[in-house]
Amino acid sequence: MNTFAERFSVSGSAAEIRRAKEVIGEDDDFTGVMWGSAGGFGNLSKGVPTFSVPSVPDPTDFLRLHTDDHADPSCKIKIKHGTTTLAFRFQGGVIVAVDSRATAGSYVASGTVKKVIEINPYLLGTMAGGAADCQYWETYLGIECRLHELRNRERISVAAASKYLSNLVYSYKGMGLSMGTMICGWDKTGPAIFYVDSDGTRLKGDLFSVGSGSTFAYGVLDQGYRWDLTDEEAQELGRRSIYAAGHRDAFSGNTINLYHVKQDGWKFIGNYDVSEMHYNGPGGTGGYGYGVRVEGRTSANPAS
Amino acid sequence: MSIMELNGGSVIAMVGKDCVAIASDLRLGNQSLGISSNFEKIFAMTDRVYVGLPGLATDVLTLREQFRYRLNMYTIKEEREIEPETFVHLVSSALYERRFGPYFIEPVVAGMQKQPNGSFKPFIAATDLIGCINFAKDFVVAGTASTKLFGVAEGLWEPDLEPEDLFETIAQTMLNSVDRDAFSGWGAVVHVITKDKVIKRTLKGRMD
Amino acid sequence: MPDGSYAHPQQRQFNPYTENGGTILAIAGADFTVIAGDTRQSEGYSIQTRYAPKVFRLTDRAVLAVNGFAADGNMFVKTVKQRLEWYRHAHAKDMPLRAIARLIQTMLYARRFFPYYVYNILGGIEEDGSGAVYSFDPVGSYEREACRAAGAAQSLVQPFLDNQIYFRNQTPAPGTSHPTHLPLPDVLAIVIDSFTSATERHIEVGDGLEMYVVLAKGRSTQELASIRGAQELTPKEGGDRIFVIRRELKKD
Repeated sequence: MNTFAERFSVSGSAAEIRRAKEVIGEDDDFTGVMWGSAGGFGNLSKGVPTFSVPSVPDPTDFLRLHTDDHADPSCKIKIKHGTTTLAFRFQGGVIVAVDSRATAGSYVASGTVKKVIEINPYLLGTMAGGAADCQYWETYLGIECRLHELRNRERISVAAASKYLSNLVYSYKGMGLSMGTMICGWDKTGPAIFYVDSDGTRLKGDLFSVGSGSTFAYGVLDQGYRWDLTDEEAQELGRRSIYAAGHRDAFSGNTINLYHVKQDGWKFIGNYDVSEMHYNGPGGTGGYGYGVRVEGRTSANPAS
Repeated sequence: MSIMELNGGSVIAMVGKDCVAIASDLRLGNQSLGISSNFEKIFAMTDRVYVGLPGLATDVLTLREQFRYRLNMYTIKEEREIEPETFVHLVSSALYERRFGPYFIEPVVAGMQKQPNGSFKPFIAATDLIGCINFAKDFVVAGTASTKLFGVAEGLWEPDLEPEDLFETIAQTMLNSVDRDAFSGWGAVVHVITKDKVIKRTLKGRMD
Repeated sequence: MPDGSYAHPQQRQFNPYTENGGTILAIAGADFTVIAGDTRQSEGYSIQTRYAPKVFRLTDRAVLAVNGFAADGNMFVKTVKQRLEWYRHAHAKDMPLRAIARLIQTMLYARRFFPYYVYNILGGIEEDGSGAVYSFDPVGSYEREACRAAGAAQSLVQPFLDNQIYFRNQTPAPGTSHPTHLPLPDVLAIVIDSFTSATERHIEVGDGLEMYVVLAKGRSTQELASIRGAQELTPKEGGDRIFVIRRELKKD
């Protein structure tokens, strides 16, 4: 059923073979290609990624015991969490907007995370959940997409790329991967967004937001969304939605990264400081902040 | 989820030359959700004694009233204003009364202490949530950003800062610390206390 | 209960990790990088040794600092060095910094289900001659930055660095602007201040400080001449150069 779990379980035929190999002295970790011309390829040197797993009855349990900081805040290996990402489809293509904060407990571990992963010039992936899981598998997806191009002499569709990723993470289901991503791009069918997560969910849609601050982003996004938005209006909506999440959600913020996908591929629009948006707005055109907009006209002094 | 991190918030106090400063952030949250950006945690007890109350918001309000009551009783009985060192002991005993069901607050006290010769000496202290007093000569910190505040203050603080320099030091310490803490921030406020006046300044901080 | 008898089935938890304290730090300049770490190794309240290096030279232009579980860290550095040696044999040159960063990602991620409990910071000189710092989480997510602290006292040091390196929350005087890169003596002074501060307020930090300085090819070593006890590690001139500077920290 679950081929990955079988490959690494301590009982069963696969484990027997593995043990036999250990006795004979066949080292699984190092192979000839590693020190040849493929010396720089890490665990990809065998073509497909391979992973070491602890020799315990339930490796998943082991991983959860040592890494899951939601179940046990005192555990040693803290995987970074907290995010707001969004993507929506409209008349002019796809807008992708994300924040840049990573937190470990209450500590803001980084304020400069790149949560949009540039898979290739036509495909973008967003990062929510485990940073390493998203970075690694979306880079790997980039490799596979390029191989698809070389084999079939045409670009991979967004549907196919996202399904490739979805099937891939599904084969690791239950092993502790954590990712919630949106694969965005433009192919023969036009602009497309697919939501893919580590549970194996894969959804096609016009509008998604993922992460701890997604509810705040949805609030602004739903209110301002129309299919016939102009490019400028759409970019502003994406920026304004992430600002809302950055402002209210403690685990989101710092800066906004904005991308626009059109027929000829994606374009990076800009990086915007959330606090700068609060006080001054994009290009100093008026702050988004509530306090800034009601300046001097609060219930405390209604007359002025 | 720790109850000390439910609402977030941090306070720091520093000693300068013939002055003290006390600063706090302005955030009140419900875990990750920011609720208010004008929740003050520093209260004037007398003209020269200020207390900061970071921790559980409901206890901030309760303890403020509790201290106000006890302070009035002291003032009426003694017919004089309380000194900061005396006030810290008042805080300590009030907290220890609840030894086995504590208020979730770690108070910070800053003030100018009257000397026998009539001059004033800077005074700061902090206690834990059951009233163990920490008399410090340099600075004291408390709240969700305490580790960050310790690091920055240790790097920026120096002895005998004049009021304006002390303001700059405490303001920079506060702003940079809360920017690395998810549960503190949303603006900050600084009080610089000298023997004859108190300057309160609200800082423009990051709003995320 | 595990009472030594075989009357009942027994189960024990597999717990291969401990935390060995300490802090590491790296700052990139325009044409140099400083990578530093304290040398105390502890477990709980006990000091195991006052001198256990956490910063390692990989090539003439790359230095790796490791923090977390010392056994995992040492093993990891050993395997990275092995892979770099193999690369040298295959390509007759040192691996470039950004490639080392990607190699470290894939090596860490290969242990996704049995992680190295190690926080890595890689510092050095990029192929274009600029100073660079890459920071990693235990399972391999990474990012290029200008400055990063990791380990026991990261939450004490990082906000101080934000203020002193990035000038966060500081407004430049009218008509002026903050420098994008600080000169080497300033950076070294900030590193030393960071560690003395961390030593003062964190029990797992102290004893000794090792600062590795990587200078880009052709860069003047003038500023290092005035630094007490700077010792060169690179054998040949004319390439990138690595120096190490050692300082004592409080031992209590």
